[in-house]
Order: sequence, then structure tokens, then C-alpha cells
Amino acid sequence: MNLLSPSTHLLLVILMPLVGAGIVWLVSSRGLQAVRQSAATTAVLTLVAAGWLILRYLMSTEAASNQVFAMVSVPWLTGGMFDIRLSVGLDGLSLWLFGLSALLSVTAIFVSWEAVTERAVGFYMLLLLLETAMLGVFVARDIILFYVFFEFTLVPLFFLIGIWGHDERRKAAITFFIYTLAGSVLAFLGLMTIVLWNASHTGSVTFDIEALTAGLSLHPLPMDADGGYLQWVVFLALLIGFAVKVPIFPFHTWLPLAHVEAPTGASVDLAGVLLKIGIYGFLRFSMPMLPEATAVAAPWLFALGAFGIVYGALVALVQQDLKRLIAYSSVSHMGYVVMGLFALEPVAIEGANLQLINHGLSSAGLFALVGMLYERFHTRSIQSLGGVAKKAPWLTALFMVFTFSSIGLPGLNGFVGEFMILAGSFQRAWTGVSPELQQSYLILSLMGVVGVVLGAWYMLWAVERVFFGNSRLPPSHLDNESQESLDLRWHEIVALAPLTVFVLWIGITPATFLAPSSQSVRTMTLASSNAFNRQMQPAQGHAGTEMITHNNESSDQQDRPKTNPTFQKPISVKQ
Amino acid sequence: MMTTSLETFLLLSPEITLFLAALIAYLAAAFSGLRAGWLVAVTGLGIAILVSGNQPDSGEAISSGPITIDGFSFYIRLLTYTTGLVLALIQSGDYWKSAVQDDSSQHKRRGTGEEAGTFLILLAGLSLVGLANDLVLLFISLELVSIPTYILLALKRTDAAGQEASLKYFFLSLVASALFLYSLACLYGLGGSTSLLAIGNQIQSLGSIAPPTIEGSIVVGTITASMAAVLLPVMLGTALAGVAFRMAAVPMHFYAPDVYEGTSTSNAAVLSTLPKIAGIVMLARIIALAIPPLGSGQTVGPVAEILLLQTWHLIAIVAAVTMTVGNCMALLQNNLRRLLACSSIAHAGYLLVGLAAVTAAATSEQGPLGGESITANALTLDGLASTLFYLATYVLATVGLFGGLIYLGHRWPEWSTSSNKRPRLEEIETVDDLNGLSTTNPVAAFCLATFLLSLAGIPPLPGFWGKLSLVTSSLSIGSGDAAFGDRRAWFIGLSIVLVLNAAIAAAYYLRLITAMYFKSTDKGVQADGGLSSGLAMVVCLIVLLSISIRPRGLFTSALRAGNTLSGNIATETMPPQTTQISVGDAMIASEIQKGNR
Repeated sequence: MNLLSPSTHLLLVILMPLVGAGIVWLVSSRGLQAVRQSAATTAVLTLVAAGWLILRYLMSTEAASNQVFAMVSVPWLTGGMFDIRLSVGLDGLSLWLFGLSALLSVTAIFVSWEAVTERAVGFYMLLLLLETAMLGVFVARDIILFYVFFEFTLVPLFFLIGIWGHDERRKAAITFFIYTLAGSVLAFLGLMTIVLWNASHTGSVTFDIEALTAGLSLHPLPMDADGGYLQWVVFLALLIGFAVKVPIFPFHTWLPLAHVEAPTGASVDLAGVLLKIGIYGFLRFSMPMLPEATAVAAPWLFALGAFGIVYGALVALVQQDLKRLIAYSSVSHMGYVVMGLFALEPVAIEGANLQLINHGLSSAGLFALVGMLYERFHTRSIQSLGGVAKKAPWLTALFMVFTFSSIGLPGLNGFVGEFMILAGSFQRAWTGVSPELQQSYLILSLMGVVGVVLGAWYMLWAVERVFFGNSRLPPSHLDNESQESLDLRWHEIVALAPLTVFVLWIGITPATFLAPSSQSVRTMTLASSNAFNRQMQPAQGHAGTEMITHNNESSDQQDRPKTNPTFQKPISVKQ
Repeated sequence: MMTTSLETFLLLSPEITLFLAALIAYLAAAFSGLRAGWLVAVTGLGIAILVSGNQPDSGEAISSGPITIDGFSFYIRLLTYTTGLVLALIQSGDYWKSAVQDDSSQHKRRGTGEEAGTFLILLAGLSLVGLANDLVLLFISLELVSIPTYILLALKRTDAAGQEASLKYFFLSLVASALFLYSLACLYGLGGSTSLLAIGNQIQSLGSIAPPTIEGSIVVGTITASMAAVLLPVMLGTALAGVAFRMAAVPMHFYAPDVYEGTSTSNAAVLSTLPKIAGIVMLARIIALAIPPLGSGQTVGPVAEILLLQTWHLIAIVAAVTMTVGNCMALLQNNLRRLLACSSIAHAGYLLVGLAAVTAAATSEQGPLGGESITANALTLDGLASTLFYLATYVLATVGLFGGLIYLGHRWPEWSTSSNKRPRLEEIETVDDLNGLSTTNPVAAFCLATFLLSLAGIPPLPGFWGKLSLVTSSLSIGSGDAAFGDRRAWFIGLSIVLVLNAAIAAAYYLRLITAMYFKSTDKGVQADGGLSSGLAMVVCLIVLLSISIRPRGLFTSALRAGNTLSGNIATETMPPQTTQISVGDAMIASEIQKGNR
């Protein structure tokens, strides 16, 4: 094991898809089979290497002490005030998302096995390029490197949607690109402001995310008029960038279009990984670096999350297009994550972090299966499908698994995440907010519960109409049936089997997945939780719950050593 | 005072090489036609680059006679020559394209051998603009840029549209030159000398001998501060008008779409790059007048302070308006050259952001009478350096883009079986002509897409690094101030305008990519623009990709160039003190852990 240092190992994982893309290009003259085989081999090898790295992380001392594992830092653009580095490293927060990216890339390639035959070289190269970008965004330890990967994910996806998408693909690709770009350039300004603020207060420029987090906790950005409400401005800039990516409720309009038009492989990556980058951004930047602004905005974002849940579910309920339905269910499910995150309650945040992975698995599985249905029946309309279960029992079974995972059946992964989020939200609503807000928080948390019911409704209803009952397929498809089986083919099983394994595994032993990132996630959100608790301080005098006061004392103790006097001054709360 | 010696000629040897090459090109063209001219031009440029690269770069400014060679002029010279070399390759391709056209073609070309020579003189003039430290030489060298441009515009395309374009450019350019000349006259009036150094000293010391009284009329030499207060805005306005014309910035931008559309593609390539370099040099020279020289410890006098304040406000407004207008106009265009003209207007706006930042960095927050010297430190990024860096990335992508368009040449004509008449060749003119390029010519499509993404500022392409440095220098203005000041608010606003414009710009760049990659066509391209322009395109792509991976080399040279002019302390790559931070960071992390347990 000492043959390969962790740092080299990590670099290898990130660069492997890039090399694979080169190989795909080189073998392009040998035909489709060679192209997709080399792409698949690359993705599988990358997954194995990534899995091995995750195991090494779990066994390492860094994991135990919550430090960055496999850190590499090479100067990239230095000179003047710049000290931008190519620095990457794994920690508890990025661990599972890193693994998810590697896993879903394999899925994306195998579901495209038969679906993409035209210009296949470009398709697989772009998928591998996207994999590098996705892996990179989660392990980047330099703020500019993060942004480079963050924005670069757009380029392969733009081409994937635009070239291999469906009828409205051009519009979808451009809408997706411009919408996300407009958000992320503002986030970029926010990130640069953080860097410059830190530089002017510590006397040296750094782009290292950890150093910036530490620097900003010593010199928080000002929240008052003298400082130009800078923390607010930066928070809003980051919010716009990340909210579009998630997408949080009013910024979600690009998502259904992009999903419906995207080819299956791109949908898998988009829903499974790219939506998570926004949440990851909140966890990595907004919450630890801008705690006061996060605390003030938290109730609003909590509410947006709850609205998103119900809105997404209601819109999903009336969809006729199965893929669009799942796209809206993504909006609904990401609403849970946002709600859990901004409940600012450790249980809910950990649940939200797990729910990222859960949603990645279930939505990727569902999108993949819808793609398979479309390949077989050339329609995604719920009305014209029906009775699929008879013709494709295994496909139906897998669809059921992912459906149950998505609606949170106990025993599967979705349940754990949703339960933790809702538990945390109710805990916050009962004991952690000021009396004026209590009622609203309770109602919003109840909306989350309603969302669970609605989720079961629209998913099961869709399943019932598509898979059971009489076949409503036009006769032309019946000829097809006689020639070949409509059930899962080998590459589709390869694509979905690993996802199913994880769906069950997380559902049965969630602690395996919660424990490694728990400490890291708590550290990242500690400052924001504390700021929020301080803001709600008057309420806790009345509530007087033992647990919360205890929490609060301990959090104050944690807070004190790393703050300077200015940080201690009472924060003005709009009451 | 000014002595022109042998040394001056030695320092000018690259320019002299170019003039000689131009003469040879004129002669050779008379005997052996146009292609020989371009051969001479490429060789001459190669020699000039070698000669200027071999000149001693001691890092100090060497003044001799009317010229100064410092990091700034060195950078401008190399940028000019390398751009010129690629443009020469492209234009020789343009010749080839015209040569394959038959006699019935509208754009028939008589083999004018003067193009190559004229182009060389243009380049030499541009390089001289960067070298000039004297008003007279500055103006003469600017005319050495303008006059060859008129000739090139008139020579390359002789149809009605071409004539209209060249006349439009000619008259407007005359107006712009006249306005700039007026500002030079004002400067002479202020400084009493044609030497930029002397004028600069005069402006910086004006009013600083004694604090101004309420009447505001202290006599310093023969110029009073109140006189300066009248002269300076006039000088500034006229100078900026002249600069705005060269850079195609608002309010002198409106000619660009018409002229680009009317002229040949290679002329459009020249127009969208070389005059921009000239404009930036002109403006940088004027800004530098009010900034004390490097390490002099001198403070800025009230008059210079006023000049700086007015300048940065004006440039910031022009920059914001220019990029917005350019991008919004570009959204509506369907003709490729018009679209690129609007894009070049927008980029002029981006370029001005850095110049506004460097000017504002030299002022103090206390207002016009603060009289504080520049706060040069390692925590801000020199705006001029970022402009120069952005300029290089912009020029690279633009030249490559035009090279690609020229290489593509014409569409295959639609053959009609009904008539025997030979069909007319269609030049690639509109966005729709690019449809399906990724299947008909994948290499060109890939190159063009990369250039477009770089112009849009998508990481990690050079355009992104350029925008990153522009935004950084703009945001860092006033970031060290105790209170959140006006200046800071202005530059945060300017940065927001910049990045939002980058998003708008992505819309029309993506339109071209969409045409190339997402649409299909039944007509292919001939790719008859000549191998040399194809070569130029590929060379640009390779350089572009290598800068994406390793932006450091170009950035440090831009940094050095900017620092010599804007008076910032040249900060050689200082090893950042990350150790201290990471120790403190580890302490905090361990405390958090303790708390968690």
C-alpha cells in the first residue's frame, strides 16, 4: 500500500478519466465497440481507484482527526498578489460526493451503451471530461480551483445536452448554460471578495479554503452599514450562484427543461452529482465563512426549502411526461436538503448531507430507467405507457426499488435522510427558535411531512399507470417484443446494480455512511448554528429546555477561543 | 535636452528592421507579386522579434532621445510583433483566398504588392507608440498606425461596401486624431515641454508646493492650479475620445460594426486587435503622467490627484457602458463580422476596467486634497498589469478566431442543374453559414469553439484568467481601507457589471457554438482560405491551451510591464506566508474538536 502515496492516488483518480478521454479519441477509428469499451474500462477503473482511496481515507489517521487527507498543493498562478494553487485533498465533507461522482459516471456510460451510437467518440470523451470536473470540484482545496471545476462542469454538459439531446435540445442547452453561468459569476465575485477581505486583514494573500475559513472566523466580514453590509452582499452573491445550481425553489426553472432534453447519461450526472455542487458550496463556503448572514437568512431559506418540497411535488403530480415528473421530484427532494441544511440543527444537517447521496442514487437510477423505457417504447408519456411489468419484470422491479428509495420507505436509504431532516426541523421548531417564529417553523416542518405523502402519491401513481394495468402501447411495439426481450440487458444491469447495492446498504447501516462525514459537517456548520442560536437567544430563556441550554453553553465554549472581541459583540437581530 | 544618439538607433533596431523589410516588400512586390511580399513580412517580423528579444532587459528603464525602453514598452513591442506575425500569416491566407476566385467574382483583387509593406509599417508604428516618451513621437507614431490602416482598408476590398467602410474609418479616424492632438497640445501647455517625463513632473508637483488658498490661484512657474483645473478636463475629454476611437469604446464605437462588415475578414482581424493595443498604450501613458515614478517616494500633488480622480470616474463609466452596449448589440447580430465587431467593443470595456482600477489605486480615499502617495502593496493587483494580461488573452483568441474564419473561406455553392452558369461563391458571412461545421470540418470547429469559450471567459481558458485578474484588481481597490468608501462601492459595482456582461456575452458566443455543433447543414465549407491561416489558427490554439494550463509566464511578464508604468512596487513572486496561517488554522481546528468532545 505504500507503493502509492495517498496524494498520488488522488491525483491519479482525478486524471484517469482525462487520460481515458484521450484513449477514447485514439481508438475512435476502431469503431463503436472499442470506443465504448475503453470509456467503460476507464470509468470502472476510476471507480475502483476512488473506492480504494475512500477505504484508505477511512483507515487513515486524518479521518480520525478530521483533517485533510491526501493533500497536494502545486503553485499554479503565482505572482503579484496571486497565489493560486492546484491543491486537492479529501475530507469528510467531500468523501461521499467524490465517491458518488465516480459511481455515477460508470452508470452514465453503461446506460448510454446502446442509446448513443452517433458521434459516440465525442459523447464518451465528454462524459469522461465531465467526470474529471465532478471529481475535481469536490476535492479542490483552492478557492479558484474550485471555481474552475465548478464552471467547467458546464461545458461538457452543454455539449452533451445540445448534441445528443431531444427535440428542444438547443434551447435547453443554452438556457442551462446561461442561467447557471449568470449565477456562478456572481458567486465568483463573492469568493474573490472573501479572498481580498481575508488578505487585507491577515496581511497575506491566500486562496486556500481552509486558511480562508480560519481567517474569516477571526475577522468576519462586516454586517453593518460601516462595512457596507459586506457579509450580506457576499452571502447573496454566493446564494445566487449556489441556489441556481441546487436549484432552490424560485431558481429551478432551467432544471426540468435541461433534464427532459438531456440524453440519459447526462441526466444521470446532472441529477446525481451536479445538483449537489450547490449544496456542497453552501456547506463549504457560506456556512463556515459567513455565519452571521447565514443565520439571518436561514429562516427564509428554510421556508424556501419547504415551499420547494410542496411545489415540486404538486407540479410532479400533474406531469404527463415521466422524465419531467422525476425532474420535478428532484426539485422537491432538493427542497428537503435545503430545509435540513438551514434548520441549522446538527441532526438535520447530517441528514441533509446523507440525503445528497441518497438523492444522487435514487434520481440517477430513476433517470436511467426512464431512459431505458424510452429506448424500448420511444415514449415517455405516462398515458401511452402501461403494463410494462409484464414485458419487463426486472426493469419494473428495479424501478420499484428506486421509487421506494425516493419516497423514503423504511429500510431503504431515502428514509434515513428524510427522517433525520424532518426530526431536526421539528426539533428546531419546538426548541430552537424564538416564540414568534415557532409557529411558522412548525408549519414549514409540517409541509415537509406533507411532501413525503405527496411524494409517495405521485411516484406510486406514476408507477401504477406505467408498469401495471393493461398495455396501452401502440401495436408496432408488439412486433418488437416478439423479436427480443424487453427486459434489462447486461449493460443496464451493470449500470444499476451498484446503485441498488448502495440503496440497500445505506438503508440498512446508515451509520457507516454518516459517521465519516459527521464531524466534518458539524465543524463546517458550527459557526452558523451558533450564530443562529445566539440570534434566537431570547427565545431559549422562555423555552428553557434542558438540552438546548446545554447545547448552547457548550457551543459558546467552543466559540470563545477562536473569536476576537469584535466577534463577541451582540449581533443586531431584527425582531 | 533631447539627444538622439547612436544608442537610440540601436534601441530602435527592431523597428528599423521592420521599415527595411517594408521597403524590400514594396520592391519585391513590384517584381514577383503579392505572395513574396508576405514572405518578406514574415521573415522581417521573425528577425524583429529575435532582435527585440535579444536586447538587454535590465529591468530598468533606458531613455534615449525620444524613446524609453522599459518593461511596458518591451511587453507592448513583443505583443505587437507576435500578433503581427500571426496576422501576417492570416493575411497571406486572405490573399490565397482571393486568388482562387474567378474573374466573375465581385471581390476581385488586383495583386497589390503594397499590402505586406504597409502592414509592416503599421506594426513598427504601433511598437513606437509604446516606446515614445515624447509628445511629438507619440503623435507621429500614432499616425504611423492610422495611415497604413486607411491604406489597408482601401486596398483589400474595392467594392462599394469596402469603399464605404474605408471612408467611414478614414473620416472618423481623422476626427479622433485631431481630438487627441488637441489633448497633446493641452499637455504641452501644462508642462511646457514635449517630454512626457517633464510634463509628468510638472503635473505631479502642481499645487503641492503650498496648500491652495480659497482663491485657488497659486502661481507655480507660469501655470496656475486654476488654469490646470480648466485645462485638465479638456485634455482628459479629448484624449479619451481619441482613445475610445482606437479601442472602439463608447461613445466612439459606432463605426465598428459597419466597418468590420464592409471590409475583408483579415482587415477586421487587424482592426479588432492592433488599434486596441494603441489605445491602451495612449491611455496608460496619460494616466502615468499623474503617478510618481517607481520608488521616488514622491507624493501626488492636488492637481494630479484631481486628474486621477476625474480619470478613473470617467474610465469606469465608459467601461461599464461600453461592455454593456457592446454585448447587447452583439446579441442582435447575424453577420459574423458585425457580431465580432460588437464583441470587440465589449472587450474594450473589459480592458478599460483595469485602467480605471490602476488610476483609482493611485488616489486616496481622503479625496482630492489628501495628497497621499500610492499605496502599493502585495495585497492589491495592479490594474494596468491585469489589463495588459487581458489584452494578450483577448488578442490571442480574437486573432485565432479570425484566422479560423478566413481559413474556412467559402461555402460550397449550390449547384443548379438548370442553368449552366457557374454558381457564385458564397463567402462565410453569417452565423448560419457555420451550421454543422463540427461534422464538415471538426478541427476548425474545435478551434473556433475553444476561442469563443476563451472570449466568454470559461475556465480554465486564458480569457478566464484575464477576467479573474481584472476582477481582482477592480475588487481590491479600497479593500484595505478602514471604512467602506465610495471608491470601493464604485469598483464593486463595476465588477458586478463586468461579470454580468460576461454572462450576457456567453449567450452570443454560445450561439456560434450552437450553430457549429448542434445544427446540421447540407452545404459544407471549402476551407479554401489558405493553409497559412489554418496554421495561424492552430498555432493560436496551442498557445491558448498552454496558457490555460500554465498562465504564470504571461502573467508575470504582464505584471512587470504594468508595474514599470504605474509606479507600483515590482513584487517578484513572494513566497506567501501560508505556514503561519495553517498553524493557526490547525489550532482552531483542534479547539473545535475539543469543543465537540
